Amino acid sequence: MCDKTNLNVQTWLEDYGDYLFSYALLKIKNRHQAEDLVQETLLAAITAKNTFSNRSSVKTWLTGILKHKIIDAYRRQGRETAIDDLIDQDGSDNLDYFFRTNGSWIDKPDVFSNPESALQQEEFYQVFQQCLSGLKPRQADVFIAKEIYGMSNKDICKDFSLSSTNVWVLMHRARLSLSNCMKTYWTD
Amino acid sequence: MLNCKQASQLASRAMDERLPFWKNASLKLHLLLCRSCSKFTQQLIFLRKASRNSKDFQNFQLSDKAKQRISKTLNDKQIP
Repeated sequence: MCDKTNLNVQTWLEDYGDYLFSYALLKIKNRHQAEDLVQETLLAAITAKNTFSNRSSVKTWLTGILKHKIIDAYRRQGRETAIDDLIDQDGSDNLDYFFRTNGSWIDKPDVFSNPESALQQEEFYQVFQQCLSGLKPRQADVFIAKEIYGMSNKDICKDFSLSSTNVWVLMHRARLSLSNCMKTYWTD
Repeated sequence: MLNCKQASQLASRAMDERLPFWKNASLKLHLLLCRSCSKFTQQLIFLRKASRNSKDFQNFQLSDKAKQRISKTLNDKQIP
């Protein structure tokens, strides 16, 4: 029994460590602090193991614990406003920022002149990460789960309790925002 | 005829699922005629590549050192 528990927790770090870390990093923007939050989350999870119910996946459960840890960290830093931001459910379906009422682009999309070289540069990923941090919380969560961690739409719907329409609306807005942000901050 | 707002929504959706025949056809037609949306579609593919790569660039990964440290702390906690 003890062995089994031990094994479980080890897989948690292997299976969800990177995911939790990237989640924390986007909210906290400090690698060291994000690492500590992952550790705190897993420690809390071990203590609260019995409260885990099979209704949610382990990943969702751990992410829930992490969210509370992040809110605590914000509180310690006196960042009250950011808490609202973290809880924001982001329900509106508004694309007015990107399109005129007749459906035409306000700010026309553009491609980079040298995309392949951008993908090889460390600086590019720093800008990319900053743009990800700027997304609304729900958009960032879904985008990261899907595009960085390759989760299927089906799993995302289940884990985040979203309809498939919700998922593609969130994905679309994340993509519009990212594309806009990268265009503004990355010059090649 | 689709406008750009509608076309961009379909383009984004097409990244994740197969569009119904007519929707796909009207998107393809729009992309053929619209430079901005065709650029947006290229950006979508680029964003996907960038996302997949960003994982390998270790920005989003716990360092081995951090993993070891956390693993050790967890193990210590396990022993009563």
